[in-house]
Amino acid sequence: MELKVIENATCTFCGCVCDDIELHADDVRIHQAKRACVLGKAWFLNHTAEHKYPDALIDGQPATLEEAIQVAADHLYQADMPLVYGMSNTTCEAQRECVEMADLLGALLDSHTSL
Amino acid sequence: MQKSKFLPRGRKDRTVVLVDIRETKSAKAADLFLQVRPGKDFEMLTILRAMIKGEHVTDDQVAETGLTTDVLQDLIERMKKAKFGVMFFGMGLSMTRGKHMNAAALLTLAAEMNAFTKFVAMPMRGHGNVTGADVIMRWQTGYPFGISFNRGYPRYNPGEFSTVDILVRGDTDCAFIIGADPGATMPRPAIEHLAKVPTIVLDPHVTHTSRLSRVHITTAPAGIAAPGTGYRMDEVPMPLRPALNSPYPSDEEVIRRIKEAIAEKPDWMTDQPQMIFSQV
Ligand code: SF4
Repeated sequence: MELKVIENATCTFCGCVCDDIELHADDVRIHQAKRACVLGKAWFLNHTAEHKYPDALIDGQPATLEEAIQVAADHLYQADMPLVYGMSNTTCEAQRECVEMADLLGALLDSHTSL
Repeated sequence: MQKSKFLPRGRKDRTVVLVDIRETKSAKAADLFLQVRPGKDFEMLTILRAMIKGEHVTDDQVAETGLTTDVLQDLIERMKKAKFGVMFFGMGLSMTRGKHMNAAALLTLAAEMNAFTKFVAMPMRGHGNVTGADVIMRWQTGYPFGISFNRGYPRYNPGEFSTVDILVRGDTDCAFIIGADPGATMPRPAIEHLAKVPTIVLDPHVTHTSRLSRVHITTAPAGIAAPGTGYRMDEVPMPLRPALNSPYPSDEEVIRRIKEAIAEKPDWMTDQPQMIFSQV
């Protein structure tokens, strides 16, 4: 197992988005997050590359990604007024996809900001 | 604290004013603490705006906000003397009596202060990339949040199209949740509605919301195992540098695939025009 050092990593746990974190990681987990605050350290150290959860769940039962994507698309398509919500802990690239999907669906689109 | 050309003495050249309904730990770090009466934010902001313009405000009116005229006069002088003022505001303003109107009053105050000196207002953000969500939605639709596409073009109306209101009223019949856990944070009636309708969750963890959802898809955590961009609170975009390779796909990939699956179905606008026209 190889130890990597990532300089100037970005923490996205809170709105400060510190971009001067030094991460020490192997293939599975991050061992050190230098210059991150208590919250940031917990955030980096709590996520691993393990396969901890099933790829997807449909009605609480483990399912494949492909099945879940189809079922999700069906639910969204059949709805008269679907809602797309959240978008905080994700990337701008994903947010952009959300907007396009909401447009396609004629959906409601909202983020944490409205709280 | 940072020393700079214009603020050579660092923290000593800065003034921090804290406004809250109770004295929190932050009060110790502030130069000035104003304890406003709960639910009187709008009144206080409006009185400030009036006093800044030199309008007459009675002591009784000021007393209703829990403050005194002298305190506000002192605050106004400090604000006008500042070279660059920033008003940070949080959910205490937008989640209490008055809601969006409180935020609107604060933004107006910040705008009006620019008659005297440079002033801006900035929302305090709890979660990672909410700022990015604002920026992306503004860029794509012209509005920052609370948007409806149900007429085929974007419309904006917080209070009508904001999630808590939609869920509490039970307006939506399917929810797609990404990068959020409303099942842990929203009021009870909102959560109950989420459990009633088909809910789809994308998250690196099985969350409270996942447990009441029909579909949960595990995705790679952004910034840790998924690359991309995140906006800092002051709207500076930052590249993410993931340290791990996740066995799960990124949010971006999953949404794109769901979107493609939807795009294969007939277009709802042309296919079911009665949905919009017969009900008018
Ligand atoms: S390191 Fe701490 S302050 Fe910086 S973004 Fe992460 S959680 Fe926020």
